[in-house]
Amino acid sequence: MTIMTSKEQGIPAVLCFRRIPDGVREQAFSLGFSDQALLFAVRSDLDLAGEPAEVWTLVAEDRIAALKAGEPRESPVGPFLLKDIQKVRSYQKVGSAFLQVKMDGLYVDVARFSNAERELFGRVARHIQRRIEGQPLPESALSAQSDMRCEQCGLPLPGRKAQCPRCRGGRGIFARTLGLMRPYWPSILLLFLVMIAGVCLDLLPPFLQKTMVDRVLKPEPGAEPLSGAESVRILLMILLGLVVASGGRCLLNIFIGRTTSVIGTRITKELREKLQAKLMSLAVEYYNRHSVGSLMSRVLWDVDYFQGFVTQVAQGFMLNMMLVLGIGSMLFFMNWKLALLVLLPIPFVVVGTTFFWRHIYPRYYKVWDSQSKTAQLLSGLLSGIRLVKAFSQEDRERRRFGATAGYLQESRRSLETSVATFNPIMGFVFGLGGLIIWYAGGREVLQDKITLGTLMAFFGYMGMFYGPISALSMFSNWVTGFLSAGQRVFEVLDATVVVVETKDARPVSHMEGRIEFRNVTFGYDPYAPVLKNVSLTIEPGQFIGIVGKSGSGKTTLVNLLCRFYDPLEGKILVDGVDVREMKQQDLRRQMALVLQEPFLFRASIAENIAYGRPDASPLAILNAARAANAHDFIARRPLAYDTKLGEQGAGLSGGERQRISIARALLCDPKILILDEATSSVDTESEQEIQKALTTLCRGRTTIAIAHRLSTLKNADHIFVIDEGRVIEAGTHEQLLEKQGVYYKLVKIQTELTRLEVQ
Amino acid sequence: MQAPGVQVYDDARLGQVGVRLLTPENTNLFEGSFSLMHCAVQGDTLYRGVYAVVLFPVSQPDRFISLRYTDTNDRNEKEREIGIIDDLKVFSQEAQDMVRKSMAKHYFERRIIRIHKIENRFGLLFFKVETTRGKLDFVMPWRGDRAEDYGSSGKVLLDAFDNRYIIPDLSELPEADRDLLASFIYW
Repeated sequence: MTIMTSKEQGIPAVLCFRRIPDGVREQAFSLGFSDQALLFAVRSDLDLAGEPAEVWTLVAEDRIAALKAGEPRESPVGPFLLKDIQKVRSYQKVGSAFLQVKMDGLYVDVARFSNAERELFGRVARHIQRRIEGQPLPESALSAQSDMRCEQCGLPLPGRKAQCPRCRGGRGIFARTLGLMRPYWPSILLLFLVMIAGVCLDLLPPFLQKTMVDRVLKPEPGAEPLSGAESVRILLMILLGLVVASGGRCLLNIFIGRTTSVIGTRITKELREKLQAKLMSLAVEYYNRHSVGSLMSRVLWDVDYFQGFVTQVAQGFMLNMMLVLGIGSMLFFMNWKLALLVLLPIPFVVVGTTFFWRHIYPRYYKVWDSQSKTAQLLSGLLSGIRLVKAFSQEDRERRRFGATAGYLQESRRSLETSVATFNPIMGFVFGLGGLIIWYAGGREVLQDKITLGTLMAFFGYMGMFYGPISALSMFSNWVTGFLSAGQRVFEVLDATVVVVETKDARPVSHMEGRIEFRNVTFGYDPYAPVLKNVSLTIEPGQFIGIVGKSGSGKTTLVNLLCRFYDPLEGKILVDGVDVREMKQQDLRRQMALVLQEPFLFRASIAENIAYGRPDASPLAILNAARAANAHDFIARRPLAYDTKLGEQGAGLSGGERQRISIARALLCDPKILILDEATSSVDTESEQEIQKALTTLCRGRTTIAIAHRLSTLKNADHIFVIDEGRVIEAGTHEQLLEKQGVYYKLVKIQTELTRLEVQ
Repeated sequence: MQAPGVQVYDDARLGQVGVRLLTPENTNLFEGSFSLMHCAVQGDTLYRGVYAVVLFPVSQPDRFISLRYTDTNDRNEKEREIGIIDDLKVFSQEAQDMVRKSMAKHYFERRIIRIHKIENRFGLLFFKVETTRGKLDFVMPWRGDRAEDYGSSGKVLLDAFDNRYIIPDLSELPEADRDLLASFIYW
């Protein structure tokens, strides 16, 4: 971003770091600009046709123009006199945006900029608008820190207001995983020591075998012959040694396996809990961006890689490294010439493996992607099974699932066939190494340079040597899978919690229920506000109706009050305290939400009613259900309150589900009650039942009811009519009817509709 | 004759309550004040400051173009649709040029033709690419929501500022570039 200013009208001098190019300056003078009158200049990165360019938007006290730097000099946009401009806006298109001025009822493009500049130009538009309206220019309005770049290092941030990953001093995935293992370091140290003991035991058998061949079975020529009894005694001793080595290894393996499993499962459990806690703390907005299937697959499957990490540390990488070093030394100790020949296949293996895994590891990603997509599709399909059946789309869904299953099959096939081809080839290369040793070692035995026992021991060690080498060459395979899973897991753990509770957030034990929205502006996309400068006050105990068309911003009001999101501008106060200064749990504990589509868990009816108050007594649950007009239909069920509900309350009618959700709200005894279209999806008879329940529920509480059916708001103390994110009317039912405005029209339409229905 | 069991849909009936189609016979497009596109529809009014939006930008980029305007008489300045051009080619060359110019203003996407380097640092992917507009570097958070499908065989990458980088068809990238991309963007 480049901003240049010639005057210090609320804009800090620090912004004067770049001059306007001379050509632009000259052109500006010819258009009536002067250094004295120039308020500020902003550089954008595109011309109006969308070509990369350096374009300067100059704003003077009385005019605005956009000039392109460089040769050949092009016609300027403008100048437009500020007195002719009715409005200024930053208008978002696809991938770029425009600074537009409204003149003669038309929006005219002044400058175009890529999305990287839209934050700045959003401020520029507001700044010019204030200038036109004759308002003072706020201090540092243009120089406010960007939410998209790190203040210190300038690195683009992974998300709006996210922590800078560079300045945070983030560690790599391996380092962070090792960090997770820190609490278990004594066990891990013990594992390490046991592993060394295991490697020593592994080295023993070939050595004993050599002794057995060279001293007992085929004594070396010239060696002192042993008596029969002596030979048997030594044979038994060696065999005993082999049994001890093998038995000891067996015990160590049991210990290593069990300890690894204990540590690994603990780490994965802790990690799953961390992920779940993190997912709970993330704003609703995060779930708009990520599919449930992909998040589930991280918690369920990706975390398993972390158990693999422990196994790798204990039994994989470390063990194999030790074996390679231990056995390699042994080979060189026995015969360095043969040992060098043993190393011959290794360069081929290393080159082949590197080349192979570079091409194979994207296939691991594809397998994960196909698994995640299959889970996603299946989850959507099963949740929407009624819709699929209602529209007779079973065949289409079968085909769709077939295609996804085909993708899964193809990605697995591609991976597994590649691995299945690679492994035998590596086996063959290692086999060639063995053949070389047979030839070279056999010649040395025939020439009596080494004993048969030495050659046999050599073969024993060689088999043990290639095993770890092969495993190490496959290690990159595992690392790839682990890194991709680790990246996905840490992505969730590192996600920015947008709605943050401050350290000094106030606990709230009691609430009166006074609510105030003070100049609140908010948009899910910050560049497209849904609520625009909304101000309203609700007194404790009032029953408030909120009315408006779909998409007008009614539910957004509620989302902000519950603090699912924070406003971009303005404040929401409850009992005079900004909700951002309250403990989130305390705030939400004092509120209850009854939604249009009540969500019920797969649990008993009683557990669903007591969801917000798990310690509620059975009598309290019965009372809540009775007050919500739910008791009778529950009691008629064979298992009454212990009836287990299906997915999302399957087995209950819409009205029954809604009454259970009202009972749930009642049991929490909230000070603020929010009814978001609570009766709009049920039939008239159920609605009457629910209305009766709601009358009980609302008594003595601040109630905010969003409703399309205006008849339900007749008795409201106050009604706010929202349109396009603004409160356009407010008053009682009667006052609004008298006004004959938007509310009046809506009532008229609904009365007409009801009359038609009756006819 | 209708085959047994085959459902026949009355799309013509739906058309009576559907969108308004703009044709050269009922629509006159011309450049008006401030060089903005204006549109006069027979039996309707004159719309000023009109712009074009493609309704199927991936699957039907040359058809179904919605002509829209900002209703400055409305308190909330709503965007409204005048009608839809099914096939732009039937309009005069002048009108076609105006609509195409407007479409070019609506969309700003860089088309990637080569991927030279992708580096993962701090959970961000640093791309060095070649686009139809020249070489470019950009930074993209390494997250699932930053790379979306574009049609059946393409991808759209969103950088840290939501700038859009399109690969219309992955199979048209050189194999090495495709493999490089697939090592990071595999979903």
